[in-house]
Formats: sequence, structure tokens, C-alpha cells
Amino acid sequence: MERDADTKKGVRRTALILALVAIGFYLGFILMGVIRS
Amino acid sequence: MTTAVADTHEGHDDHGPAKGFTRWLFTTNHKDIGTMYLIFSLVMFFFGGSMALIIRSELAQPGLQFVHPEFFNSMTTMHALIMVFGAVMPAFVGLANWMIPMMIGAPDMALPRMNNWSFWILPVAFGLLASTLFMPGGAPASGWTMYPPLVLQTGDAFPFLIFSVHLMGLSSIMGAINIIVTIMNMRTPHMSLIKMPLFVWTWLITAYLLIAVMPVLAGAVTMLLTDQFFGTSFFLAAGGGDPVMFQHIFWFFGHPEVYIMILPAFGVVSEIIPTFSRKPLFGHDSMVYATASIAFLSFIVWAHHMFTVGMPLTGQMFFMFATMLIAVPTGVKVFNWVATMWRGAMTFETPMLFALAFVFLFTIGGFSGLMLAIAPADIQYHDTYFVVAHFHYVLVPGSIFALMAGAYYWLPKWTGHMYSEKAGKLHFWLSTIFVNVTFFPMHFLGLAGMPRRIPDYSTQFADFNFIASVGAMGFGLSQLIFVYVLLTAKKGEKATDEVWEAPYGLEWTVPSPAPYHTFDEAPMLPERAGH
Repeated sequence: MERDADTKKGVRRTALILALVAIGFYLGFILMGVIRS
Repeated sequence: MTTAVADTHEGHDDHGPAKGFTRWLFTTNHKDIGTMYLIFSLVMFFFGGSMALIIRSELAQPGLQFVHPEFFNSMTTMHALIMVFGAVMPAFVGLANWMIPMMIGAPDMALPRMNNWSFWILPVAFGLLASTLFMPGGAPASGWTMYPPLVLQTGDAFPFLIFSVHLMGLSSIMGAINIIVTIMNMRTPHMSLIKMPLFVWTWLITAYLLIAVMPVLAGAVTMLLTDQFFGTSFFLAAGGGDPVMFQHIFWFFGHPEVYIMILPAFGVVSEIIPTFSRKPLFGHDSMVYATASIAFLSFIVWAHHMFTVGMPLTGQMFFMFATMLIAVPTGVKVFNWVATMWRGAMTFETPMLFALAFVFLFTIGGFSGLMLAIAPADIQYHDTYFVVAHFHYVLVPGSIFALMAGAYYWLPKWTGHMYSEKAGKLHFWLSTIFVNVTFFPMHFLGLAGMPRRIPDYSTQFADFNFIASVGAMGFGLSQLIFVYVLLTAKKGEKATDEVWEAPYGLEWTVPSPAPYHTFDEAPMLPERAGH
């Protein structure tokens, strides 16, 4: 099944947002460690 | 109309699987990847299980019999890491890969190449971890919680441990991204979010938990790495750091991790009980809200794992009451499962037996969890075998029984043949008897004061330990019946497309075995598709 343009855009956008959230949690908690130590 | 596409269909992907090893190495097919996840997790289940048997052999009698204390500590650590990250989590990802696209009418996962990558990182991660068994200083032995400063005394294995945890986390995060993206973007247009099957819902919520907490674990172990090799003092008191901060960060990951291992189990059981009760799931929407509530609460209860570190009374009170609050949405779930069965035309095939045992035995684990939530009582129970009994009741007759239930339930859809019901039932009854023989006496050991993570103990604990060890051997051997069921899975009678009597859901509208490619066009929902 060929994906339409909207689906492709949605897939890219959702994946990008989730990846950024994950990176944010990773760096955020390390930053918290830096501030606390 | 639902359209399931056989291997010979016309279209851009009108091909079956590739031949030989390359099929598995380069595959982007969700069913192939699901199969690999499931086989990998089964191998890890036996690998981690053999470590459990080493532990129980040593503990069968007081005194040191078989292994050195250092190796014993390595076994407890590796057993936990392998079972959590190598067996339970990948097994649920395997079920997700196989079933979610078929349940939502999608042709495949949204990011199939990343899906392949997510899987193939795992054997590398566990290869690294297993290699530490042969290193100077031995495998990691500080417990799966990796508390500093103890973990920093690990020998050559330390960087391998950290790197393998990073790889496991990466694999989980990529898998979670894939699942969320697939569910949010690839559902058949006829399926609104609230109409999704419970297994899909529980996985969607689990995937959000994974995105939020696996990076936190990665951050914690990155800080351990820099403390060990780059002169930082995040957790080293001598350099101004705080070892207790590690515990806070670890359990901010660790408690949602518990729900990562149980929410998809709730989903599996919520699929099975309606089928074998011949009734729709009672309170579908309330199940969704209960799952979301449990997920939310899992973020604000982490410090109940560390009541003994010496936190302010206000903190203890908050974490105690927040933890007890989880019993409310969990109670909603148990009530709904029982209400689904109420006046249903129930039959007791193997998946239903495992699901019923799940409801009963997981609830025992839940109740002991409630006991541990009481801060003043927890100070007595902390680091005793009561805790070991509690979390094994949640994870073995909880998560693993749900996995077994799911495997038996969907196996005919995967293979196109009915498995041996006789062998399945034998597997169930032996597992259920031995799991209780193994873990129930541990409650008494813990209440009597036996500490966890020790290779030797006072003679007063001998009898219950012997019973637990006999149970563990029996449970381990019983699992070989499951291997027999899998090896003979294609020898049974041909399965119909529905497999069971009028089950709910899109996955039962495709042929058995499910074709290599399913749904070349968005399917309509059958009348009995959901709640």
C-alpha cells in the first residue's frame, strides 16, 4: 500500500518529535546531575 | 471489506520473503522482525533462567556448595538484566511487531528499516553483556540497579555493562518511536483512537513510557561512566557528588519500567478473556483511562523503592499515598476482567488458563506491593526476600504468564496450525504449581528476616529455601514443554482464519497463517472488531 503524502509527513513529524523528546530527557537528566554535583 | 493479501498479490511488493540468512538479516517485514524478537527473547529466557537455577541450587541448602560468593552476585545481577531487558521487554516488542499492524489494519510498521535496526542491536548488546562472564573481575555483580559506589568496583566488565545498557536503551527507544508513529499514522481510517483494541492501547501508553524513561537510564549510566573514567563526581561523595541522587534517577526510570513490563501484559489478557468468555470486554474505555492513570502515577512514586535512605517524613507520606493510589486503576482493571467473565460462556483453553492465572496471581503480587508501599512497614521488609517474592509474583505469573497466554492465543494465526492443547495444558498446570512452590515461601523467608542477594544464610531459613529451590527446578523443566509445543506447532490440525470461536479484532479477518503482506488497502472494521 503506497503511503499518501499526508501519511509520510505525519510519520516523519511524529518520529522527529519523539526522537527530540528522548534526546531532551537524556540531556536534561545529565544537566540536572551537572547542576546538583 | 477487509482485504488480506497473500504472497502472490499484485503490487509493488508482490514478493514473499527472501531466501536464506539474508531474509532475517535484512528483513523489514514486521512479522519476520516480530518472530526474531520472540525467538531471541525465548533464548534469553532460558539463558537468564539457567542463572536463576544456579542461584537456587546454591540456596537449596545453607552453606556454600556450588559457586563463589562473587559469582553468585554476578548471577543475581545478570539474571535480572537478562530477564528484564533481554526476555520480557523484547518478547512484548515481538508481540507488538506481529500484532499491532494487523490489529489496526496497517500494512507494516511505519519505519520498517529502523525496526530491523532496533532488533539487530539487541544480540550485540547481550553479546557484550554475556562476554563479561569471561572477563577479569567477572561479570557485573552490583545488582541490576547498578548503585554507586559499589558498581564502580566492577572490573573490566564495567564499560561493557554501560555500553550494553546504552544499546538496550537505544533499541527500546527506537522500537517505541516506531510503535507510536505506526499507531498514530497508520491506522485504518475507520478506526478512531478510542476504538483501538486494548493490546494496541496498552502498547501505545507503554511506548510513551519508554520514550520518557529509557533516556533517563541512559543518562544515569553515562554519568556512572564519566565518574569512573573522566574524573567527574556526579555520584561520588568524596568529590562532592551524591550517591543517593543515582538512586533517585535510577528509580525515576525503574518504576515506570515495572509498568513497561506489565501494561502490555494487561493488553494481552484484555484480548484473551473476552474471546474465551464470548463477551465483549467490560468497560473498554475505562480500561484505557485506567492504563493511562497507572502510567501517569508511575512517574510520581519512584522513591518508594528507597524509603530507607532517610528522606523527610513528608516525602515518605507523599510517596506512600501516591503508591497506594495505583491500586485504584489496577482495581478497575481486575474488576473489568472479572465482569467480562461474569455470565460469559467460558471455556478454558490454554491461553485462557494462563490469562486466568495471571489475574489471580498478579493480584497477589499487587497486594504484597501494597504492603511494601507502607513506609514504616517497608523499613522492615526492605532488602528481604519479601521484596523478591513480591516482584517475582508480578513478573513471572504476571508478565511471563501473559506472554505465554499471548503466544498460545496467537500461535495458530502465526503458524496456520493448532498447537497441542494437551501439551499446552500440561505446561500451564506445571508452571502454575511450580511458580507458587518457588515464590510463595519467599514471603515467609522475607518476613522472617532473610536478606536478598546473599549466597548463604542462617539455618533457620533452610526449609523454605529448599522448597523454593525444588519449585524453581520444576518450573525451569516445565518450560521445556513450551519448546516442545513450538517445535510441533506446525504438526497440528489446520487453523481456521478465526482460529477461536468468534474472536474480536481485525487480526482474525486475515487468513491463517497470516500472509507475508497484509492489507493492501485500508480495511473496514468488522462488526466484531472491537469493544
